[in-house]
Amino acid sequence: MSDFTDWFKDTFKVCYCEQGNLVDKDRFSEIVQLVLDNEADEESMAIFQKKISSCVKSNFTFENEKCMRDEIQKKLATHRKEIPNDLAQAIRKSVNL
Amino acid sequence: MSEDVVRDEQEVQRQNYSEKEKTEIFDNEFMPHVDSMYNFGYRLTFDEDDAKDLVQDTYLKAFRFINSFQRGTNAKAWLFRILKNSFINEFRKKSKQPSKVDYSEVEQYYNSDDAGENITTDLRIETVQHMIGDEISGALNAIPVDFRTVIILSDLEGFTYEEMSKILDIPIGTVRSRLHRARNMLKEKLAVYAKEMGYNKES
Repeated sequence: MSDFTDWFKDTFKVCYCEQGNLVDKDRFSEIVQLVLDNEADEESMAIFQKKISSCVKSNFTFENEKCMRDEIQKKLATHRKEIPNDLAQAIRKSVNL
Repeated sequence: MSEDVVRDEQEVQRQNYSEKEKTEIFDNEFMPHVDSMYNFGYRLTFDEDDAKDLVQDTYLKAFRFINSFQRGTNAKAWLFRILKNSFINEFRKKSKQPSKVDYSEVEQYYNSDDAGENITTDLRIETVQHMIGDEISGALNAIPVDFRTVIILSDLEGFTYEEMSKILDIPIGTVRSRLHRARNMLKEKLAVYAKEMGYNKES
């Protein structure tokens, strides 16, 4: 049981109406985040996978979030600052190494 | 202040490393993270010299309290925790920067019941695909530092929620909710920017 098992179950319930349709997209995106961050446990993952394989709206929301996340991460990752040439040396010097 | 945190963390397992061991740990476990540390420092301060000072200060503290570090454990998380505390406790005061957005106020707002209703991010994947790293980085830099930090730690540095919880001294549930709010804030910034630049128009 992970830190989010109960949170997942409670949140998942409020995302869907009695007919099983996705009614709270914002709460669902919190669940998607947990899944994409690999923080959902196996049981929660199974529930999630089952739902997105049968619900078009859930699947669309998931795929959309996933693509958006990948794109943002990819672009942020390429935008890194070069470290100053003398930094490593300055650090060693400051600790007398 | 951050020295206390470093000491508290693993006081019960205090080591007694030889000089040779200290050098090995410093070189093999601490130094490989200079690049990540510098980028984290830069994204917090937006200034190359300040980032450099912050990183140097972090390594100095790490070396001074090296006996509080247990070999083979997560050195990167340990260093990030020191840097984050140095930034909060010392850098912000020393730099005499104009006061930043009060985190508690921001989080209170975003945690309020009606906060979710205000989050309408009309952002399309195609729009983000059109953007360059500079533009996305600019949007990230425009969100309050405590929210920016969780995105950096998670999406750029790959820390788990548990590691982030330790680095930031906040409950793991707060990591999850803060990260969600932060990502929504980033999307909002990107959506506003896209609108200003006309990226949303159909081609």
